[in-house]
Amino acid sequence: MTGIIILVTFIGMIIVAFAAIIQTKLADAIILFMGTGLGSVVLFFTFKAPDVALTEAVIGGGISSLIFLMALKHLGEER
Amino acid sequence: MNIKRELPTTTLSGFALSGLLVVTILNILLQNMPKEIYSAGDALLKLNETEGVANAVTTVVVFFRGFDTLGEIAVLFIASLGIGLMLHSNTHCNIKAESNFMLQTASKLLFPIILLFGIYVMVYGHLSPGGGFQGGVIIASAILLLLISDKSFEIPHSIIITLETFAGVSYVLIGLIGLLILDTFLGNFLPHNISQMGLLLSGGIIPLIYIIVGIKVGSEMSMIVQNIIKRSDDV
Amino acid sequence: MFEFFDQPEVIKVIVSAGSMFLFSIGLFGLLSYKHIIKTFMSIAIMEISIFLLFIGLTFKRDAVAPIIDSTHMDVSIMNDPIPHAMILTAIVIGMAVLALGTSFAIEYYKLTGNINIDEMNSMRY
Repeated sequence: MTGIIILVTFIGMIIVAFAAIIQTKLADAIILFMGTGLGSVVLFFTFKAPDVALTEAVIGGGISSLIFLMALKHLGEER
Repeated sequence: MNIKRELPTTTLSGFALSGLLVVTILNILLQNMPKEIYSAGDALLKLNETEGVANAVTTVVVFFRGFDTLGEIAVLFIASLGIGLMLHSNTHCNIKAESNFMLQTASKLLFPIILLFGIYVMVYGHLSPGGGFQGGVIIASAILLLLISDKSFEIPHSIIITLETFAGVSYVLIGLIGLLILDTFLGNFLPHNISQMGLLLSGGIIPLIYIIVGIKVGSEMSMIVQNIIKRSDDV
Repeated sequence: MFEFFDQPEVIKVIVSAGSMFLFSIGLFGLLSYKHIIKTFMSIAIMEISIFLLFIGLTFKRDAVAPIIDSTHMDVSIMNDPIPHAMILTAIVIGMAVLALGTSFAIEYYKLTGNINIDEMNSMRY
């Protein structure tokens, strides 16, 4: 059961990461990057490492995504 | 932006896939290693039963590797200093729109709960998953919620300076006191009985140092967040 | 089929192959696009893949998390706490470096107005 969960989550993370760097608009890319962080939190929880999962959830979802969104606000949507 | 550079992407993809193949074959070949490999983690877990706290990761971060945590705090301080030098301005930024009524009401209800949860994760870091880094960043995200919902909220600079200086200086002072009493930097000089493992007051200086780390990280993250949001638009 | 995927060798192969795939996706994004925020995002994806490889290779299936409480007192079936502590430090430092780099990018854009990394080649603006 553990192996199936790891395999499916890895496949999901690869698809979402590939979609995140192909986007043309920057706002969609940032939201899909947050999805990659969520997949990594699920994997850390399956590997029985609760401290690392908590740290990645708070930093990857709270601070790192905020910094990219603020860069989007100051830089504007340009091509 | 969608303009691609002139790069041989097929060559690079071939390189990456061949790296994948090498790693897979190496893994299958390495299955014939001896089953009994002595690792340092087993010895540390045995040592943690008599000299550490209930959470083994906290013991490794604060007590066995306390000097590395001091270096990591220094790196965070330098990053916060650099961001403050580039983005800080004394003129007020004109946020052009007042936020929604729902956001204003909900943030006033949520802010004390998130703050309390951050302090709980910080203080109980040696008994359950958590600690100083996680609790400090949770407190910073509570302050972020207030910053985006209120037009005129700002943390005064003097509070952040006081908190950060106090936390940084007391970390080094505790280490020096340990050097005086026990002849090792960051030695455990407060009483720590093995019979108290699992209670809140246990482990000597380990919960104290983690609370100090949490205060420093929380105030630095709040300053980084405030500097990035309130950067004024007139250069 | 469930028993085939639960052997430790198969889990190690899945973890290392998946994280190498993620690393190569990040590398492709880093070298192919010119927007500077996209390069930062690709670097963050590469960092996540290395953290997963580090913790996934020391994972035993019938072990518990390294926390002592009233129901788990036996330390011989616990996971290794040293990689957890190292990855904790690495996550925080990676975030700090990303924040500093983004502030540089914002300031450079306000000063000269280009976000194309192929045109950032002058020593003074």
